[in-house]
Amino acid sequence: MSEVLEAPVQAKKEAQEFEPKIVAFLCKWCSSAGSDLAGVSRLQYPPNAVPIQVMCSGSVSPLYILSAFNKGADGVLVSGCHPGDCHYLKGNFFARRRIYLVQKLLKFIGLESDRFRMSWVSAAEGTKYAQVVADFVKDIKALGPQRKLKAKN
Amino acid sequence: MVAIEDIRTRARELLEGGKVRAVLGFRRSSAGLLAEPTFVTELNDVASLVWDATCVHNLALYLVNEKKRQKAERNPDTRPLAVIAKGCDSRAINVLLQENHIARDEVVVLGVSCEGGGVIDVRKLADVLRGKEATAAAYEGLGSVKVTTASGEATLAASDVLADRCLECATAYPSVSDVLFGEKVDERGFSSRFAATKAVAAMTEEERSAFWDGHFERCIRCYACRAVCPMCYCDECVVDSTSFIVGPTTTAEEKANRIRWIQRSTTPADNAMYHMVRAMHLAGRCVDCAECERVCPVNIPLRLLNTSLESEALEMFEYTPGTDPAQPSLISSFRDGDPNDFVR
Amino acid sequence: MDTILKKERLGEWVAQIGSRARVFAPAYADGIWNFSPVAAGVSIELDHGNTVRPAKGFVFPQREVLYRFRQESGKAPELTETLPDTTPTVVFGVRPCDGRAMVRNDKVFTCGFKDPYYSARRDQVVFVGLACNMPPSQNCFCLSMGGSPHSEDGLDVLMTELDGRYHVKAITPKGKAIVESGAALFDKMQVPDGNAVAKVHADADKCPQRSLAAMEKIAAGLKEHFESPKWDELARACIGCGACTYLCPSCHCFDINDEITGNTPLTGERVRTWDNCQFPDFTMHSSGHNPRHDTGARLRQRVSHKLLYFVENHNMQQCTGCGRCISHCPVGIDIVRVATEVTGQ
Repeated sequence: MSEVLEAPVQAKKEAQEFEPKIVAFLCKWCSSAGSDLAGVSRLQYPPNAVPIQVMCSGSVSPLYILSAFNKGADGVLVSGCHPGDCHYLKGNFFARRRIYLVQKLLKFIGLESDRFRMSWVSAAEGTKYAQVVADFVKDIKALGPQRKLKAKN
Repeated sequence: MVAIEDIRTRARELLEGGKVRAVLGFRRSSAGLLAEPTFVTELNDVASLVWDATCVHNLALYLVNEKKRQKAERNPDTRPLAVIAKGCDSRAINVLLQENHIARDEVVVLGVSCEGGGVIDVRKLADVLRGKEATAAAYEGLGSVKVTTASGEATLAASDVLADRCLECATAYPSVSDVLFGEKVDERGFSSRFAATKAVAAMTEEERSAFWDGHFERCIRCYACRAVCPMCYCDECVVDSTSFIVGPTTTAEEKANRIRWIQRSTTPADNAMYHMVRAMHLAGRCVDCAECERVCPVNIPLRLLNTSLESEALEMFEYTPGTDPAQPSLISSFRDGDPNDFVR
Repeated sequence: MDTILKKERLGEWVAQIGSRARVFAPAYADGIWNFSPVAAGVSIELDHGNTVRPAKGFVFPQREVLYRFRQESGKAPELTETLPDTTPTVVFGVRPCDGRAMVRNDKVFTCGFKDPYYSARRDQVVFVGLACNMPPSQNCFCLSMGGSPHSEDGLDVLMTELDGRYHVKAITPKGKAIVESGAALFDKMQVPDGNAVAKVHADADKCPQRSLAAMEKIAAGLKEHFESPKWDELARACIGCGACTYLCPSCHCFDINDEITGNTPLTGERVRTWDNCQFPDFTMHSSGHNPRHDTGARLRQRVSHKLLYFVENHNMQQCTGCGRCISHCPVGIDIVRVATEVTGQ
């Protein structure tokens, strides 16, 4: 009986031990401020996302995203201002098109589509940021470590 | 039928009048069946120009390369270049015009219609001929290609020996030209647009992943795909390191910490990085001349990466590269109605 | 040591070797011939054209880790040696042009200074050659390069296909060892076998090939025409890719880079990778000056290295006439035609 029980317990333990590394490219004006708000509001959310502040979601080159995966990220998040709220007026619209294509390309070469996400998080949406990260971590935990694009070192 | 004499006559006129500095065309090659690019500057060499289904190259590439060459010259000849361009090649010229890489008066486009046919794929031909070497190949119309081998002539089904890009091509005639040789033929019945890329997209995630892992692993990073691409005209590519200057005061730390997005090592992950960066860089710019796939010595189906994004651009953004030099480029434009559901 | 192996016993011989070593043989996959690992119990068929990639990668891989390093801030770096894995490896179906290229690579890596990475591999890899009964490609020109479709240079064993059987000749001690290890499978060579081998070799020599003038003439011509305007003319269509040299069995230029894997402490590997004289950053100086600044100068470098500089240094041509650089050039640049036209032979 104990043998039957142990296997799933063991698997669950391993899944718990895997803590995904997420690289989050956050725009300075909205999403980064949103993540700060989540912090100062003392919201509880997983610490897996490493924030990288960028001036605009439109300034995130596809190379940054690919490079993050290459350096071992299990997931990459690009987050910017809601459409219409861009500090530079149009940056997030450019980002949306470009990120859409990156997502399709990653899917085309067989990377799990849950590993790459985009979100709109305003400076007031601390709770949303916490939720986006919590969901992301949960989904990536289910997938396990990213190996496809990771440099083998 | 496109009569090669017509092209030669036109080339002769252009050279005689001194209107162009060279006519870029095709001639027979000592290396095998395929024609090779040639720069005709002397009237005597006009007779070497050929036109048939072995003229696979996209000569728009040389508009870019010659521009770089001119920059290095002290007294460059600034007369335009005349270039023989098929449908796909002319689309490439359109993209170069759109991006202001060249000006319209720098090029005389001698447009050639494929007349419903296309160019051959030597790998397919080798399979069909089972080891016999072909010495000539010509599209005959009505879906057949005449191939000459040492043991005689054979008429083969075009769908068996034409390149995939030609089978899937929707406009096999120039979209920009100063002179047009041959008839525009719209009816083609070989294959549907994006058929090959859709077949890969239809695989399961695991299958697609394994498919590309196998291909990327083989890459030797000779960069033939990049070198042959008329759109890959960056002065410095992300995989090169021509602008990192190491001087007497450069510290070991600086050298160690310099950004290398992609290592020179041919590991599967770095190979994948290179091809993905290239594919992204060609989104909305690739005109599907599929030269990258043809020149790949290890036969990686590179065209699929580009056509997958081309099909997305068409479906989601109604964007077709190379049709109109005045349109804004795919990723420097947007519409309010662009997909938004994927964003959280 | 000459022996005869019946074709149906080839599989058994391969299996015997496979129990002690990694075995590679040409396989056709994804539209190209390539040296692929032979799985246990799988038979091989030696009916291939020349592989797209040459056999040099077995002794000079495209990526080689030279050593690992680790450095705590302010302290001396610790280095860890990483000599290559020396699992015995046997490669079947190596064409004589690739075998002869190995002799050239040996000159570079083992004469004067003995490269430990190259030597460690070279000492354990066994190259089992297959003589060409007909030119495997329309761009072959081994005879003009002083080789032949059945040259033994650089190979450990040479197999020649006869009717229903192979003539197997062990050339080096490494080769003898793998033939002797399967001794029970081989038959003794009889006089008619010897005659058949001689005939097959003589017939192969008569197959038409592309041709290039004699070594001395070409070398002298290249020296004389170093400044020829022909170089630029012939290279005008060159797109500057590296297919010709990466596919060359005797190109051996390499680059050394540090690949950083971590910053605190600083960790990483010093890695040797193939380099390519056709790339714009090849031998570029730190000042930004490029001694070979355009495609003409780079084509001259490649052709002259093969047919002039190597002759001056080692009294042999570096090119072995496999024809890969011609067949795989995207724009039809042809070393035979280039050398002929530049030297006016």
